[in-house]
Amino acid sequence: MSTEPGTSLNKVYGSALESLAGLQDGASLLIGGLAGHSEPEGLLEAVIASGARALTVISQGAGAPDSGRADLNRMVESGAVGKLISPLPFDPRQGGPVKDLWEAGLLELEVQPAGVLAERIRAGGAGIGGLFLPTGAGTRFSEGRELREINGRRHVFQPALKADFALLRAASADTLGNLLYQGAQRNWNPIMAMAARTTVAEVDSVSEPGALDPEMVITPAIFVQRIFVRSD
Amino acid sequence: MPGARLDSKSMAQRAVQEVTAGEAVAIGSGLPTAIPSTLPADTGVWFLSETGAVGYRTSSAGMMVDAARNPASAVRGGAAAGVGDVAAMLAGGHVGLAFVEAAQVSAAGDFVHWTTAETPGLAAPGFAVDLASGAGRLVALMRLADDSGAPRLVDQCSLPIDGSRCVSLIVTDVAVIRVTDGVLELAEVAPGWTSDDISSIAGAPLSLASNLREMTFETPGLSWPNKVYATASEALSDVPDGAIVNVDGFGGPGGMAHYLMTALRDQGAKGLTMISNTAGIARVARFGVPEGVTAIDHTILVENGQVAKAIASYPVSPSINRPSAFERAYQEGESDLEVSPQGTLAERLRSGGAGVVAFYTPTAVGTLLGEGKEVREIDGRQYVLEQQIIADYCIIRGHKADTLGNMVYKGTSRNFNPVMATAARVTVVEVDEIVEPGQLNPEEIVTPGIFVNRIVRRPEGFSPYLETA
Repeated sequence: MSTEPGTSLNKVYGSALESLAGLQDGASLLIGGLAGHSEPEGLLEAVIASGARALTVISQGAGAPDSGRADLNRMVESGAVGKLISPLPFDPRQGGPVKDLWEAGLLELEVQPAGVLAERIRAGGAGIGGLFLPTGAGTRFSEGRELREINGRRHVFQPALKADFALLRAASADTLGNLLYQGAQRNWNPIMAMAARTTVAEVDSVSEPGALDPEMVITPAIFVQRIFVRSD
Repeated sequence: MPGARLDSKSMAQRAVQEVTAGEAVAIGSGLPTAIPSTLPADTGVWFLSETGAVGYRTSSAGMMVDAARNPASAVRGGAAAGVGDVAAMLAGGHVGLAFVEAAQVSAAGDFVHWTTAETPGLAAPGFAVDLASGAGRLVALMRLADDSGAPRLVDQCSLPIDGSRCVSLIVTDVAVIRVTDGVLELAEVAPGWTSDDISSIAGAPLSLASNLREMTFETPGLSWPNKVYATASEALSDVPDGAIVNVDGFGGPGGMAHYLMTALRDQGAKGLTMISNTAGIARVARFGVPEGVTAIDHTILVENGQVAKAIASYPVSPSINRPSAFERAYQEGESDLEVSPQGTLAERLRSGGAGVVAFYTPTAVGTLLGEGKEVREIDGRQYVLEQQIIADYCIIRGHKADTLGNMVYKGTSRNFNPVMATAARVTVVEVDEIVEPGQLNPEEIVTPGIFVNRIVRRPEGFSPYLETA
């Protein structure tokens, strides 16, 4: 590749740690994945190695403990995370580090219905300041929030959500950052990619521009700043 | 001595009897994850998972996962989507039925999701609140009493609720109970159980259904409803006067449903509200239109006196000397007009499809198009409040569809179509080719068939130009 990493023509970084350059204590991170499935393991390992602290993570939540992989559980266990915003922060039957640290008062948890969280992230990525959704009206998720009756139904105001970084897992990318997913990998990633200042994608393979069918691209390169290619 | 308690498979077999043909059915985590595999993969129903699997069955080789992270794969006619897409399908009212596992259900139909009960002090619902709020109908699965004998059917939930007055039916391991206007009605009992057995462990008073019967476990055979129409005029025959219609297209004649537009003109419904990017400028702008011919576009509806109002972002001709048919109709007071900035128009349609009733956008703040709208400052920036749009009908052009309505586009013919398709009660698509389910790659489907009601094939050689210039 003819250009330096980080230029607009080549977003591929040599290592996961380099792809997280600029990650500071207190940063907010959108992290893709489905509770242990399709998580960007290489990037999570690099977050731990970076030593960053007091991070706010927005994600589906942690999966079963003791997966043996560099998952969200390991990242929380490392002490990197100060707050987790999630619809289901830990495995309800098996618990794990997220539950343990929360119970010990070392981790703040904020719970949001999954679809509401998705819509807030999507709004952040689309330049919407906030929106009204009927979801959760009449439950604890509407307490203390602005409620409006519109078209005969109660709606809850939901502010948009953005973050400093998005860490995603995708199947393949081109060097410009166009992304394709496979199966469950898509999960939160297309909306998270839009809603961060710096979006980093961990992919299995990278190709030259033009190798991906434009009709198949799910996340256009405009939303992706950095790429880390897994070596396995 | 009552009979055995049903296992999760038998509960799933009873629960799946609630599914109707052609419906999108959301499967929550826990007990409901046993439901999809009770029906063969070619059954006429879409099971969706919050994970983004749209039309799936669990399958050890699959690259998708269900709500319990079991591997899954798309059925023929399934599509890969994201969490945000499924959230929008739910909130937008595109999902007819959802199944959740409850820890408690009250006589009013309030419920507590199992994950809420299993995370004391935190009460984490996962996707349950979204399932309860968005689905047309909510069916709860649970064991009637927990291992210690504590009842789960209650007068009032003792834990934080995940949905208010939303459960209509409860399928338990010993009975089926209907929830109607604050009354719990015992409708079915498991084999070997009597109504007295059930009442003694229920935890809340039960009335007995007049047709109380024993639960059965035969699963329904459901065929896909036919969506393929022989002609455009058959697909649009029921458009009434006064309908709101999404009409696709950008500026030039590309990416327009010319065949459906022509049929809508011939059908003749009057007083239409037409939602489109332009209100018909291909003829005056001549983007790519050869000399000596006239493009078919929205103009044919305007000239036929069918358009009472347009909601559009670019309703005028680029040349003041060549006004469009809509401009003339507007100036003569025959048609009304609401101008929406192009991106706002797309977002209003997207919101209509996703159940967002209104949203704040920075676009048009301080301009004529922002006047009269609520302004709100969020994080130091000014936004205006814009309302969702939901049409009665939508006519759009795709490239290929399967017979279930899954659709792919070609190039810029995609334009407004993916958002318009989600924001109408009846979405009618015109495609170059109709294929069998399974012939489109689930990863490439842009508009899932859940959003598509009727499909017509554009006749080969159908001209985008009027016969007489």
